[in-house]
Amino acid sequence: MKKFTVLLMVMLMTVSMVFANGTTEAAPAKSEAIKVGLICIGDENDQGYTYNFIRGQKEATEKLAAEGINVEWVTKYNIGEDSTCVDANIEVAEEDCKIIFNNSYGFEPFMLEVAPNYPNIDFVSCTNCVSSHDALPNTFNAFANIYEGRYVAGVVAGLKLNQMISEGKITADKAVIGYVGAFSFAEVISGFTSYYLGAKSVCPSVTMKVSFVGSWSDATAEADAAKALADQGCVMISQHSDNTTPATAAQSAGIFHTGYNNDMTSVAPNASLISTRIDWSVYFYEFIKAFVAGEKLDQDWCKGMEDDAVKMTELNTAIAAPGTQAKMDQVIADISSGKIQVFDTSKFTVKGATVTHAFARDTNGDFAADTDEAVFDGAYHESYFQSAPYFTEQIDGITWLNAAY
Amino acid sequence: MSAEVKTPFVRLAKRDSMDPKKVWAIRLSSILVALILGMIPIMITGQNPFTAYGIIINGSLGKPIYIKQTIKIAIPLLGCALAIAPCFKMRFWNIGAEGQITAGAIAASYFALYWSDKVPSFVLILIMFVTAAIAGGIWGLIPAFFKAKWNTNETLFTLMMNYIIIGIVSWLQGGPWEGRKGSQLIPMFNQSARLPEIFGIHCGWIIVLLLVVLMHIYMNYTKHGYEIAVIGDSENTARYAGMNVGKIMMRTMFLSGAICGVVGFIVVSGANHTLNNGVANGVGFTSITVAWLSQLNAFAMIVISLILAILTKGANTLQTRLKVPASISDIVTGILLFCMLSCEFFINYKLIFRHGKSEEEASK
Repeated sequence: MKKFTVLLMVMLMTVSMVFANGTTEAAPAKSEAIKVGLICIGDENDQGYTYNFIRGQKEATEKLAAEGINVEWVTKYNIGEDSTCVDANIEVAEEDCKIIFNNSYGFEPFMLEVAPNYPNIDFVSCTNCVSSHDALPNTFNAFANIYEGRYVAGVVAGLKLNQMISEGKITADKAVIGYVGAFSFAEVISGFTSYYLGAKSVCPSVTMKVSFVGSWSDATAEADAAKALADQGCVMISQHSDNTTPATAAQSAGIFHTGYNNDMTSVAPNASLISTRIDWSVYFYEFIKAFVAGEKLDQDWCKGMEDDAVKMTELNTAIAAPGTQAKMDQVIADISSGKIQVFDTSKFTVKGATVTHAFARDTNGDFAADTDEAVFDGAYHESYFQSAPYFTEQIDGITWLNAAY
Repeated sequence: MSAEVKTPFVRLAKRDSMDPKKVWAIRLSSILVALILGMIPIMITGQNPFTAYGIIINGSLGKPIYIKQTIKIAIPLLGCALAIAPCFKMRFWNIGAEGQITAGAIAASYFALYWSDKVPSFVLILIMFVTAAIAGGIWGLIPAFFKAKWNTNETLFTLMMNYIIIGIVSWLQGGPWEGRKGSQLIPMFNQSARLPEIFGIHCGWIIVLLLVVLMHIYMNYTKHGYEIAVIGDSENTARYAGMNVGKIMMRTMFLSGAICGVVGFIVVSGANHTLNNGVANGVGFTSITVAWLSQLNAFAMIVISLILAILTKGANTLQTRLKVPASISDIVTGILLFCMLSCEFFINYKLIFRHGKSEEEASK
């Protein structure tokens, strides 16, 4: 019993030290660095969506440091699209962050629950669309014209298909693209449509099959979808989902692939031609710089290839069709100058007819677009009235295999 | 002599009784052992464990808003532990609390989404409360019915029921209740469908504290509570005494499910303000730990659920400030729970070592 008492005393003392020490060290006061929060749906290990944000975070920090602006990031990983997102926003706000970026679409409603309580903090919802026009002056939306990058990736894919046709590997009518999509969501529809239009601009006979997997990130389902598409005769795979498994599936099926978010040539060197991604460092840099200068960016921010907000990864020249780089450079220049309109209404039809009318935004909250005519001057103007994509037309030439999702 | 050779190095013996002071000393020291063991994973990440523990306390209790957040985490844990307590007392292993929470949440959400402009806020919240309790109760009643009729295994049955109801929410999220097409998000509830706040925290805390008192009375001072205890000790005794075991099982499971359903209502109406397939968020499982650690004592559950909430909230802050992976704090929590649960073993049993002098001496 004596031993026991001694042991107890020692432990008690140890623990009292814990608390004595701990409270004094909490909440350290840092130098004049501006504190910025970033709330992520995943972490860097996804090698896709969140990885791309972390990459932007690092690049922006370096660019700002070079200009004498020190940023101290408070980053939360693996936050769910539920009340844990509310908690994360409060948590980061209480760490004295001046700006809080939320990286996932589904974070916005939860972020907006917190934002009114912290009027001096700017809350940014990347990829969503309510913050820009709600009553709160401290909430923001941001996206990039990723459809431009998709179009260019489509051109790369189309040139490869042309090469396969001219080499006699496939006939023109067998130029079928398979697309692994997450959900039948505007962002995804806009993405695969622009990709298809890019391919069609160089390879007129191309058609596309889209398979929705019902998850933003499900490595196995994405691989299965890619394999199933290959079995259905697709000779080119692209994707709007977070993993690299469609690339590896394409490689094992002996067909080609273009990716999203991250360079996938390292995992599938014989299949992956190129990827496109949003460079978030452009936005992070602009926003933080403006904030430090006492200014505010537009509540709805959207930039494209012209401003390097959308980038192409390095072309896999070992397998790309000859002359691809030159054609790509020309297309990028034409998109930047406005010579090419990605959603040129003379280039696609819906049920055989040219699109002459489509609303861009929803204002009454029923989730059906009712305001702002998106079709004018011979093109559907994507990401023009709001940064988040709103193109949802089902154009001819693209088959939706399972629209249930 | 030969018998002595075969004596194992360590033997276990059930303790008759123990000085309550000593019992609490063991419990306290188990927490201390856990805290000391918990330092190891923190040190592996290259951090000072004292700083880390300080941050856990500071991050969960350091500011009024942190305390509110911590209590918000404790509310569903406490509510759900109360719900499963009568089942466990009856030795009916209800591990379907997760699903019963979700069932209640679905029912409450239906009225929140489609009735918010039809009835005044107070009535709406009352409807949500009652329907959530009924839905959760029915979801709990189904496995109890099968157990009572055909003696099915309630552990597997209740567990499987979880996946069904969570699947239903996933379908609602992407289908009939979806907001923007393809977004997989159910819209946020109108203000009228949200639980009002009292002292800055949604009033779910009042509901669960009331439940603590009611559950305490129910378990200890009612005929129902007595029947549950008898069945838990011996089903045959209960039968011999003329109790309808099946009926009591179904009644208790309905009650348990109903309280879980109310927890689901509190979570969607008070905290999430929307429905998603992660609505139960593991609470149905964590609360099993809460119930056991409190030895099914309703008042002890308040303390235990607060301790777990402090660890959870503190762990978030730990990840934020020290940039350690959130899983480190999960490990610390796991060690703590393990030590606390295993200390009950040392309270109930004692170890006798072979070279224990008293025995050896006595035999010579």
